[in-house]
Amino acid sequence: MLEIKDLHASVGSREILKGIDILVKAGETHAIMGPNGSGKSTLSSVLAGRDTFEVTAGSVNFKGIDLLELEPEERAREGLFLGFQYPVEIPGVSNVNFMKSAINEQRKFKGLAPINAAEFLKLMREKMAIVEMDNSFSGRGVNVGFSGGEKKRNEIFQMAMLDPQLAILDETDSGLDIDALRIVANGVNKLKRADNAFIVITHYQRLLDYIVPDVVHVLYDGKIIKSAGKELAIEVEERGYDWLINS
Amino acid sequence: MSKIEYKYTPVLPDEFRCKVPLPGIFQAVVHNGELSKERHKSNGVTLSPYSGNMGYRIDSMPNTISEDIIQVISFRDASDTSDLEYSNKIVVGEGGELSLLLCSHTLSLDSFNTSERIEIEVGEGAVADMVVMQNEHNNSNHHFLFDANIAASGFLRINVVTLHGAQLDNNFKIALKGEESRCDLNGVYLADGSQKINNNITISHLVPNCLSNQLFKGILDDSAVASFTGRIVVAKDAQKTEAFQANHNLLLSSSAKVYAQPQLEIYADDVKCSHGATSGRLDEEALFYMRSRGIGYDEAKLQQQLAFANDVLQKIPNERQRERLRNLVESRLRGEFGKCDNCSMMNCC
Repeated sequence: MLEIKDLHASVGSREILKGIDILVKAGETHAIMGPNGSGKSTLSSVLAGRDTFEVTAGSVNFKGIDLLELEPEERAREGLFLGFQYPVEIPGVSNVNFMKSAINEQRKFKGLAPINAAEFLKLMREKMAIVEMDNSFSGRGVNVGFSGGEKKRNEIFQMAMLDPQLAILDETDSGLDIDALRIVANGVNKLKRADNAFIVITHYQRLLDYIVPDVVHVLYDGKIIKSAGKELAIEVEERGYDWLINS
Repeated sequence: MSKIEYKYTPVLPDEFRCKVPLPGIFQAVVHNGELSKERHKSNGVTLSPYSGNMGYRIDSMPNTISEDIIQVISFRDASDTSDLEYSNKIVVGEGGELSLLLCSHTLSLDSFNTSERIEIEVGEGAVADMVVMQNEHNNSNHHFLFDANIAASGFLRINVVTLHGAQLDNNFKIALKGEESRCDLNGVYLADGSQKINNNITISHLVPNCLSNQLFKGILDDSAVASFTGRIVVAKDAQKTEAFQANHNLLLSSSAKVYAQPQLEIYADDVKCSHGATSGRLDEEALFYMRSRGIGYDEAKLQQQLAFANDVLQKIPNERQRERLRNLVESRLRGEFGKCDNCSMMNCC
């Protein structure tokens, strides 16, 4: 589904990603862990197409498409989703209109007619239930006045609405209390299928108790220094990163 | 000089007919300054020329609550291209309520200079609700002076939607003359090419316990220039005044300009007043967020602009009118102002 090969990316003259290789297959969940400043969020931003980063070498192949050639919206329409670490507030644009535009752009891309009102409402209700959101939120501005936990739940809700093939969740667990964490993780687990995949970026092993990864990568100084099974996350939690960095 | 491009300019009509398909609208036409309908009276509201043949006068009898919206369509065309200066008068008698929609257009590309004074008297306990829609051509300079007096417990609301014109000057001179009177003054202005839009406001709180609110928002593209001068004067005895003012601008290009001058002149000591002026660009973070959900770049930019303009549009109380103007603003921002089925030319409905 996703093949990242020798990916290098910079901001200005500073190289942040220094050769990343990751292969994600359909049905898999990958976790990327690593200390602050190792390049985790840069990787997710580069994959989603944020233009503050310049890709200087390497390739990213998504379902046979050269991902790096696409605009951010084209990547989304192809089935890529980024759950933001810091979801953005958009005053004056209601959640419901935001989602309607997003769904209809996706449908247009697939050659489908715009979704009808009844169908859309049903979809909204169904997906809001997944993250235990109440109805009042749909008329509010996107993320405006939302608590940290509500913003993260909104990310999972949007993901559920758009039903991506590959979702990258960038520190979705940061700032969440244990109940919100459970809701978010359950949301992800309900959406897991054999034909989609997840990349979960996190600082803590805690989230991985709920979302069990197939592969754990440790990112340090712009490189993957270790990839292994889910037991790696537990080892990192117990021993920190130093033993990996110094080995 | 490089060719100036506008996202939208009104098309030129062969024959003008406005059929705003809203129920309960009474239309009057002012053609090159002359009221073309004869004296009209309905439900206690009289419409007549202001002086001689020029301008209009609308009188609403005391305690008359007019259910109709009165639409005054002022347009200029090639049959008289001289500079015009005339006055109009709107009187809402005590205890009455009147809703007005004032539209101004030009129907040819001639150069027009029009100066119009609109005198407004809001009687005791009366409500005057005005929507002003401005949609004129590239060579039209139109100067408006809204000169209003509001008596005790009276309420004047003016929402101005400025869509197009070479130079549109909106001057407001509003006096809160009776206690407990209120004024709500809002405007949204959209300009591109080399348009100039000026809003110049003086609101005078002359007596205690009055309230005024101003919200003006502009979206400026290309080399458009806007100015906002908002002056709030609170007289010495006008205690317990509440007066608020905000002006926000969205600049879509680096050559668009806005000059904002909020001015407070306060002689009383127990008042609540505020002002704020900002100019900014589209929020890049929000644009990326929207794009990451599959919304195209242009659509994301448009959604932000609409949300920005909507703060003003939502102050229009009549829902159908509000929706119509919202659609109009949206088409204008999309650059896809087509002619509507009901109007011959001006895209207004």
